[in-house]
Amino acid sequence: MHFVLFCGTNFMAFNPRKFKKILIANRGEIACRVIWTCKEMGIKTVAVHSDVDRDSLHVRFADEAACIGPAPSAQSYLNIPAIISTAEIFNVDAIHPGYGFLAESAYFAEICEACNIKFIGPPANVIRLMGDKIEARRAMHEAGLPIVPGSPSGVTSEEEGLRLARDIGYPIIVKASAGGGGRGMRIVRSESELGKALETASTEAAAAFHDGTVYIEKYIEQPRHIEIQVMADEFGECIHLGERECSIQRRHQKLMEEAPSTVLTPELRKTMGEAAVAACRKLGYSSAGTCEFLLDAQGNYYFMEMNTRIQVEHPVTEMVTLADIVRNQIRIAEGEPLGYTQDDLLIVGHAIECRINAENPETFAPSPGTITGFNLPGGPGVRVDTFVYSGYQVTPFYDSLIAKVIVHARTRELAIARMKRALEVMVIEGIKTTIPLHQKIMDDPRFRAGDIGTDFMEYFLARNGKKVAASQ
Amino acid sequence: MSAPKEESEAPNKRNRSRREQQPGAAERPSASVNLDELRELITLLRDNGLAELELENEGFRVRLRRESEVAESSHAPVSPSAPAPEKPAAPAPAASGPAHPGTQATTAAAQDQDLHIIPSPIVGTFYRSASPTAEPFVKIGSNVEDDSVVCIIEAMKLMNEIQAETSGEVVKIYVENGQPVEYGQPLFGIQR
Repeated sequence: MHFVLFCGTNFMAFNPRKFKKILIANRGEIACRVIWTCKEMGIKTVAVHSDVDRDSLHVRFADEAACIGPAPSAQSYLNIPAIISTAEIFNVDAIHPGYGFLAESAYFAEICEACNIKFIGPPANVIRLMGDKIEARRAMHEAGLPIVPGSPSGVTSEEEGLRLARDIGYPIIVKASAGGGGRGMRIVRSESELGKALETASTEAAAAFHDGTVYIEKYIEQPRHIEIQVMADEFGECIHLGERECSIQRRHQKLMEEAPSTVLTPELRKTMGEAAVAACRKLGYSSAGTCEFLLDAQGNYYFMEMNTRIQVEHPVTEMVTLADIVRNQIRIAEGEPLGYTQDDLLIVGHAIECRINAENPETFAPSPGTITGFNLPGGPGVRVDTFVYSGYQVTPFYDSLIAKVIVHARTRELAIARMKRALEVMVIEGIKTTIPLHQKIMDDPRFRAGDIGTDFMEYFLARNGKKVAASQ
Repeated sequence: MSAPKEESEAPNKRNRSRREQQPGAAERPSASVNLDELRELITLLRDNGLAELELENEGFRVRLRRESEVAESSHAPVSPSAPAPEKPAAPAPAASGPAHPGTQATTAAAQDQDLHIIPSPIVGTFYRSASPTAEPFVKIGSNVEDDSVVCIIEAMKLMNEIQAETSGEVVKIYVENGQPVEYGQPLFGIQR
């Protein structure tokens, strides 16, 4: 993207808050991602790691590192005292939380502030608001975004649920208020299923998010999952960086993403983008964020939720807009003005990302182990975000994502050919990975035609002889 | 190997002089490799627990780097709060890894196979006593029980009393007063 960078040396004189050192409160590929940009900006980095992550790549390439606990996340990557203690010992200026872990913990953001450490992200109150999915729906609706018909608050009884569902009309979906990442969700197609769905969703939510509150929304059939990347500074300026198409999901977990979407016209992009930006401005949003929408077959869009952090799939936006989202997060946290207007946005070509997991490509069973053979694709228009290497031991303690392969090309057709080529020469031996799954998707006629929706994986798995349902 | 006719990057003094050194030993006898000297350098590296050593002398440069067998010894033994007495490693993390609070102590503890090691349960700053003027909780030779407080580790302004959780005699203390410590870092060696 041709971002006209106004933030040159002029602004440096007005910027008293340039970071000298950032602690990355995360692991894996996103920790490496933040380190790469910090190196480019001349900012020193501090890595934190659990004892089993001692040989992880982010530890290797940070300037300083500290072991903060044993493998379980609660005692390490979610261990706020350990992370803050490390930040104080190393005298860091700011903490980048990555995604997952503490990235959307308003409590953590507040503690950072109390300890005079800049949390790289939006203000704590905005994180808190968007973290409550029911409140987020209400707030964004008030801020002008269309929402899917649904319950105005948590559903407290089966009777209430039945009544609401009758008003909205089946099919409906039960969702966790404190949820995200596709967990704590149940699609309900008839009255008889509702009671059990409410119960199981609530139990799952309580276990995963320590809050069993659930709400109900109308379930939109075969929607597309379209999300808008926004970027705002701390002075009220906000722009969007276009959309990402994330409809290819299994059990509400994204498998691959692309930008731009095959169905968004420039007009719809403008409408959705402006709506997202206006809402963020009203919220007092700052830093990077993503507004997730559902797009139905008629081209109506509905606000789903907002992620107040950098997302896994941010690279596809970076490829087509030439932006560095991490760099912008850091600059904004340093107190720099955004420096771009919406007119500066250019979307060039097409990008696709495949999330490579350490899983059996057919059963999706986790496949930890030591990586023996290893080769990463390179060449024109290929980017790989990863933290693994030959000899690395993939542990079972964390997320199974081990690499993201992103390609960029002039057209979607060329991007698909490029992804095929990249996946073909990508070698990860010693463990099972989902590379073969992605290769098959690249060959799928519906995918190639751009005919994708959130029902895609169900169709694809059935077509490839798998009885496992894609959702639920 | 001949020097390229034109530099692909901007002229760089260091690169140029390195290329000028390329010609083999026979052409510059004064800079030939002395095996005895090399052995001495290797001993120096090992005995002082260095990760990397670089020596330049009359147009001849040697860089020795120790590969890590276990995580501990690969990192430069630089305390994050105080400058190290010598500066053994190049700043580039690719060569020596990041500065870990735990390195020297971990290496030392690794040699004390027969002792029970008390590790740090948290990240923080290690203190030998309850206050700057107080006596240390334990000294070399002190006897401890399960609930004996051996040190304080300060984290986020909270003083955490660390208990021995074993009984025996303190024979090794791996860290210094005021030193930052990480999770799992060896603090004391106890003879049970």
